[in-house]
Amino acid sequence: MRRTIFAFLIFVLGACAPLPSAPSASVTASPAPSFPVTVTDFQDKPVSIAKRPDRVVSIGPSNTEFLFALDAGDRVVGVDDFSDEPAAARAKEKVGGVKPNVEKIVSLRPDLVVSVKISDGSLENLMSRGIVVLVVNPQSAADVAKTATLLGRAIGADGDALASRIQSGLDAVRAKAATQPKKRVYHEIDASDPNKLFTVGPGSFIHDVITIAGGVNIAATASGQYPQLSPEEIIRADPEVIVFASFGVTPEQIAARPGWSVITAVKTKRIVKVEGSLMSRPGPRLAEAAEAYYQILAATR
Amino acid sequence: MRRPPLALSLTALAVALGIAVVAGVAYGAVAIPPERILAALGGGADPTETAIILSLRLPRVLGAALVGAALAVAGSLLQGMLRNPLADPYVLGTSAGGALGAVIGLLFGGSLGLFAVPLLAFAGALVSVYVVWRLARVGAQTPVVTLLLAGVVLSAMSGSAITLLEVASDRLQLRLSTLLGLLVGGVSVISWAQLAVAAALVAVAGAIGLAYAYRLDAISLGDDVAAGLGIDVERTKRLVLATTALLAAAAVSLAGLVGFVGLVAPHLVRTLLGPAHARLIPAAALAGAALLVAADLLARVALAPTELPVGVVTGLVGGPFFFALLWRHRAAYRL
Repeated sequence: MRRTIFAFLIFVLGACAPLPSAPSASVTASPAPSFPVTVTDFQDKPVSIAKRPDRVVSIGPSNTEFLFALDAGDRVVGVDDFSDEPAAARAKEKVGGVKPNVEKIVSLRPDLVVSVKISDGSLENLMSRGIVVLVVNPQSAADVAKTATLLGRAIGADGDALASRIQSGLDAVRAKAATQPKKRVYHEIDASDPNKLFTVGPGSFIHDVITIAGGVNIAATASGQYPQLSPEEIIRADPEVIVFASFGVTPEQIAARPGWSVITAVKTKRIVKVEGSLMSRPGPRLAEAAEAYYQILAATR
Repeated sequence: MRRPPLALSLTALAVALGIAVVAGVAYGAVAIPPERILAALGGGADPTETAIILSLRLPRVLGAALVGAALAVAGSLLQGMLRNPLADPYVLGTSAGGALGAVIGLLFGGSLGLFAVPLLAFAGALVSVYVVWRLARVGAQTPVVTLLLAGVVLSAMSGSAITLLEVASDRLQLRLSTLLGLLVGGVSVISWAQLAVAAALVAVAGAIGLAYAYRLDAISLGDDVAAGLGIDVERTKRLVLATTALLAAAAVSLAGLVGFVGLVAPHLVRTLLGPAHARLIPAAALAGAALLVAADLLARVALAPTELPVGVVTGLVGGPFFFALLWRHRAAYRL
């Protein structure tokens, strides 16, 4: 549970980061990798990288997945405690969980640290020691393609190819789903407080995945990427499908929640649990996540 | 000051509670117009609105009323028995002990079903109220300083134990999604079955309290006075402590740690109706219920659509009240 909560916190905390409003320069052009290179990170900060990084520390499971997807896995010398995909990432040195261990990172002598946004000062601490830190904090589906390009340039790999592979995967799912009837979807992330259930809102990649896969997110008008809904609002919205990743919850418990018996998804038993990292990370497997979501909705049609 | 007649006071408090309940049911995350709320209460409306009103809002509001009543009666009993205006299940750590029991019930009480949480909460509350009482007692007196200190330490220990269980249970892969809410105190989603169990506990405890009202009056004048009247003081005190634990357990199993209602409600009522327990107990129950329903409503409205835990509201309102009491009595307590 702690892992789940922390992993969840990582992307909720990340959600607080102001996203660049306009696409950064890094998206537009990506010539053959050459160093030195200056890229613009997710905090709109220019970051100069002098030579092709050989020792990369990755903080954030999605960043780790990206680095491996860019064939740079052998250059990764350290990852955060939650990075468990792909399997090879589990063998890497661990540099801490929600709070990165600065000493450990320094001892790995990285020439590049790629990290999600972390506000406890540890990234600034690393920078003050002369370590190059690139903040990569993807939130939406659009951010995912942008991340592939950005990381490709930062480490000297073909990020554009990865970005277009992800994009074409998403487009394929979108095309399939377009011919299907739309379904109202409630996606539950966390039910620790039974009165304020965490779901996904606009700007989060799961919201995008729902839309691409042919669903209509009942929290589409909520504010924030991870809004909380009261059970009253969920009952009123009457979802046709309930998808949940909340820890320690079973479909039977959801169906038995007070008042939920009137919800269409409960009456028709369309309550589906999603487990594992596929649906919890805005990473290079986003198209697979969209396909999985499409299958969930297809099974209910 | 002439005291208003009991019937009038009780009626006024019941009206206040009624208004709070109506407001609590009328306001919610989803706006439903009054005529449709009435239709939903009659069961003849649109099933979605009926579900919202009958399964979510009404049990929540009634739950808040029950928790408020339980804590207020518990506070009245403790204050009378300990002859101490600062006593209340939250301050004395009884609620925290109950919360520890409730957590154990949540984690391991699967086979006991609906009764696991209240039962273990009762055990926890009973142990803690007894420990505090024995620790604080010096001869026939329970000096306020030792009482409060014992309560503080017990609350801290229970809180640590809850955190320990939370962390350890993560390793044991146990489910405790409701755990985090317990420590902050909040009335949220309550089933009718939970409500019925808690209502039965509060009814039994309230009846015992009323039956012992006269003996409590005597004890609050002094143990020697009570003994002189032929009352078995020790036995009465034990029973009153157990009753308090029962009330705290009912409150904790519905809403976690809600502070200061048990302190504020009896004091308000006492200034109005005087200290006689036969008057104090029913009036404090109504006042506590109305206060907590109102606090819960405030918690929902203040930062809407975000909801505050009701414990935040009672803490912010009740904390200063506690300080005011300390200030007024500081000479007597030599604080």
